[in-house]
Amino acid sequence: MFFRMIIGAFQRQWKKMLMIALTVALGASIATAMLNVMLDVGDKINEELKAYGSNITVVPSSEAVMSNLYDVEDTEAKEEYLKEETLGEFLTIFWANNITDFAPVLDTDAKVNDKAVKLIGTWFNHHFEYVKKGTTYERDTGIINLRSWWDITDGKWLDEAKLSGDNYAMVGKKLSAELGVKAGDTISVKGDAGTESLEIVGIFESGDDEENYIFSTLPIAQQLSGNTGKYKKAEVSAITSPDDELAIKAAKNPELLSGDEYDLWYCTAYVSSICFQIQEAIPEASARAVRQIADSEGKILEKTELLMALITLMSLIGATLGISNLVTSSVMERSAELALMKAVGAKNGQVTLLVLTEIILTSVIGAATGYFMGYCFAQVIGQSVFSSAIEMSGMVAFLVTVLIIAVTLVGSIPAIRMILRLRPSEVLHGGH
Amino acid sequence: MNKKHRMFIRMVLASLLRRRSRMMIALLAIVVGATILSGLGLIYYDVPRQMSSQFRNYGANVIFTPSGSSEMDQDEISKAAAVFPSDKLEGYTPYRYENTKLNNLPVTIAGTDFSSVLKTSPYWHISGELPDADGKALVGKKTADKFGLAAGDSISLRNSFTITETTDLKNIPDQEIYTDPKTGEKYCDHTLDLKISGILETGGSEEEYIYVSLDDVSNLTLNNRSCDIVEVSVAASKDELKAYLDEINKNSDALEAKPVKRVTASESTVLSKLEALVLIVTIVVLALTMICVATTMMAVIAERRREIGLRKALGALNSSIIAEFLSEGLVLGAAGGIIGSVFGFLFANAVSMNVFSSSITFRPLLIPAAIIASVAVTGLSCLIPIKGAVDVDPALVLKGE
Amino acid sequence: MKLLELKNITKSYGSLYALDKVNLSIDKGEWIAIMGPSGSGKSTMMNIISCMDKPTEGQVIFDGRDITKDSRRKLTEFHRDKIGLVFQQFHLINYLNAVENVMVAQYYHSMPDEKEAMEALERVGLKDRAKHLPSQLSGGEQQRVCIARALINSPELILADEPTGNLDEANENIVLDLFRQLHKEGTSLIVVTHDPEVGEVAERVVRLEHGKIISDKKNKQFTE
Repeated sequence: MFFRMIIGAFQRQWKKMLMIALTVALGASIATAMLNVMLDVGDKINEELKAYGSNITVVPSSEAVMSNLYDVEDTEAKEEYLKEETLGEFLTIFWANNITDFAPVLDTDAKVNDKAVKLIGTWFNHHFEYVKKGTTYERDTGIINLRSWWDITDGKWLDEAKLSGDNYAMVGKKLSAELGVKAGDTISVKGDAGTESLEIVGIFESGDDEENYIFSTLPIAQQLSGNTGKYKKAEVSAITSPDDELAIKAAKNPELLSGDEYDLWYCTAYVSSICFQIQEAIPEASARAVRQIADSEGKILEKTELLMALITLMSLIGATLGISNLVTSSVMERSAELALMKAVGAKNGQVTLLVLTEIILTSVIGAATGYFMGYCFAQVIGQSVFSSAIEMSGMVAFLVTVLIIAVTLVGSIPAIRMILRLRPSEVLHGGH
Repeated sequence: MNKKHRMFIRMVLASLLRRRSRMMIALLAIVVGATILSGLGLIYYDVPRQMSSQFRNYGANVIFTPSGSSEMDQDEISKAAAVFPSDKLEGYTPYRYENTKLNNLPVTIAGTDFSSVLKTSPYWHISGELPDADGKALVGKKTADKFGLAAGDSISLRNSFTITETTDLKNIPDQEIYTDPKTGEKYCDHTLDLKISGILETGGSEEEYIYVSLDDVSNLTLNNRSCDIVEVSVAASKDELKAYLDEINKNSDALEAKPVKRVTASESTVLSKLEALVLIVTIVVLALTMICVATTMMAVIAERRREIGLRKALGALNSSIIAEFLSEGLVLGAAGGIIGSVFGFLFANAVSMNVFSSSITFRPLLIPAAIIASVAVTGLSCLIPIKGAVDVDPALVLKGE
Repeated sequence: MKLLELKNITKSYGSLYALDKVNLSIDKGEWIAIMGPSGSGKSTMMNIISCMDKPTEGQVIFDGRDITKDSRRKLTEFHRDKIGLVFQQFHLINYLNAVENVMVAQYYHSMPDEKEAMEALERVGLKDRAKHLPSQLSGGEQQRVCIARALINSPELILADEPTGNLDEANENIVLDLFRQLHKEGTSLIVVTHDPEVGEVAERVVRLEHGKIISDKKNKQFTE
């Protein structure tokens, strides 16, 4: 009989039930979309912040160590380099997937038409393979993504995939004006260890000192300077978690952390733990966080996440109020019907159970629909803002379910209190 | 106002005031909608400004360099900096670079103004303290490691140069002028003793320098030429920034103001994404909330089908029933809109205080917008069920259970 | 003089005939009780007379005018001017007090006038309850407000649908006394009821069964 009454209620009141289900679905979709976007916004903004360029630099560690001697006569410190093979190690560390781009840099003094210039050898969009212990690591990486702010004023980016050979260069705008060259020209560059003729692929405007330099491929810089198979430093761009107390503590000295803290720190993508892992993989290198980028990223991420969290909170409050409000009003509307049930002898518990079952069944249907609607909204947001999908978290499905059931129950409280107070004779005699 | 109008108002008011629980439900729905509308609206409009000042953590986005035609002195710098509105200018810091020697090894010192340096380079990590007076130095980590220096140590910078006929002897103390016994050349050997107050870590080229006050650079070099570069941090959008820079460059011969492309270009990329994010989130949440408001209003109206039937049975024309119910809805919408804008402002302000530690900019225009929107949504969501109800045969409604 | 004439009125819902070729004529000032069991067509007849429903076939002549062809709007206006309605469930607007409920009828008819409305309430003996909401009034009092509302616009006809159905005996007598008074003043009354006591006090009783009039006679106290 109970089920027949429930089915009956759905048949008779399908319009009202539909409206409740719709409202619950809307609320659930807001919750789903906002929670998912909130949980994923950190990663998304982090990727956008990669526009600022590398947040880690890797340099030879010996460069930092020099004995403290008073009045040393030898004024030229010996230049230190890293071996090209070590570049592959970036792909083997624990957080390798968080390293979005990296590029080696080798700078050398050279001459073009007797004018002293600085030439920088690097990767642009280098295809790179590294085999270690039977595993092949592959990556396309280079400075194209690390110099998002460059404007190519003439020609185009140096595309390693499309050009054969290494004898190409991009020239800074200031220098190109001084040399009187443009894209398509060929220049002869004389270094300490040789001379190369390079075809200028593009002229760039960067707004900083780099406008005075020539950017060419790594082999060219190696040949000109005689540092075959070597690079001076590497720029690394990694997606990192904002520093917190643990990260600050670890940055001072990882050895001081307790075992658990160490594991947590090591397995969190802090800039300091990524640096630490790079140093583990390449013992002769020293990896340093570029504070300007790493700190600011952390601050902006933190603010964005907090902002989204509060907007989400507001939307959730709105959605829950909306749902419980409608549940309350729709049960109150049925006071006459419920009074009739009491008049024919239904106990308070039975009436309450009936109403609750109806409402919860409706809510569950609404919530399930809402979850999928929310999924769609989240993807619309992801695609339109970040041009990538928002990752859906299983936790959100659980949270939304709990939230909707709780909200529905809370929304039913005033209605149930009304049921308990209902005196059948009053309702049935008082008209409506 | 005739008796008919008075009765109309009396009925609308009675419905609003005497059906308190139902009206509260409807009002609550509208208030929630209007709160979200005005709250998210305020946040959306304020995010670029608030975020833009967060982006100042990246440091200077403008630099002044001497243009060559005349001296970039303090007056010229202040004049140029005054072009930026004071609430947008985070700070500006001059730098003067000189090569000198420490323990006979070449080092570069940078003279700067320590009182403003953290405003333009907030990302500096200093172990120890920022120098607060002349005679103190901040040493870059690389240089500190190279020389084995730590905070608290004393260093002595040496500036020695050959005196030629063109050398201005005015500032050089006599006791520091020596004559080389072999060559007979006169040279000056000037030293400056400094105490290291802190070690600077940035992960960038700053770590190679020793930072001292501008006066100390003058003391060491024995001249007080003006600085090489001024870093400026301005919280402004790309377009605003361009306008300011154009104005400075037009009015000043002494200096050239340029954007730091890496910072400004990246900032506008990220900021536009953030704005788009908040915008689309606002739109999605608003649309859903408004539908929620509409369903609640519909439920509240649908409940009154019988009353509508009765009014018809008493001879009411459809148009007058619609007018009555609609005006109730409009009154509710307006009240909800007003209350909602207040709550929305409070909420947006709380968000702003929590996230950005600054209060939100109040936009008066959002209040009428929120009211109009909630009146429109309420009116529309009343109209749909009323239209349905007035077409129903009153006999059926009145006879029905 | 005839107030109302039903000519060959048929109302069918598919194959089901609620009214089947009914002919009835009512004089001005007459007090008629329409009686019959549930489903006999009473309510349908009442709805057709009150212009809230249209017959499938036949004509309704009210005051010498055929109203079956009138537009909905015209019907509403006509009904508003000529007919006062009294319901079994009273149908008062629950957020308006007694005098306001009466004024609503004035409002839709012509011009609300609180003084007149108070006089109407005084007539039904509710002057001191004028500011009470329906929920604060007893069933009988609510029905009296309903009657005051029905007669406020001085209609030519008062149509009452089971006016005593929800009332106890004492209140039933008060309502019937009011009807008597109205009848004396010359108002035409049509009362739909299945209560024989209510039928007995009327001037003329029409019995309906299966959509047809099976008897139509004057009560004896009026024939004398």
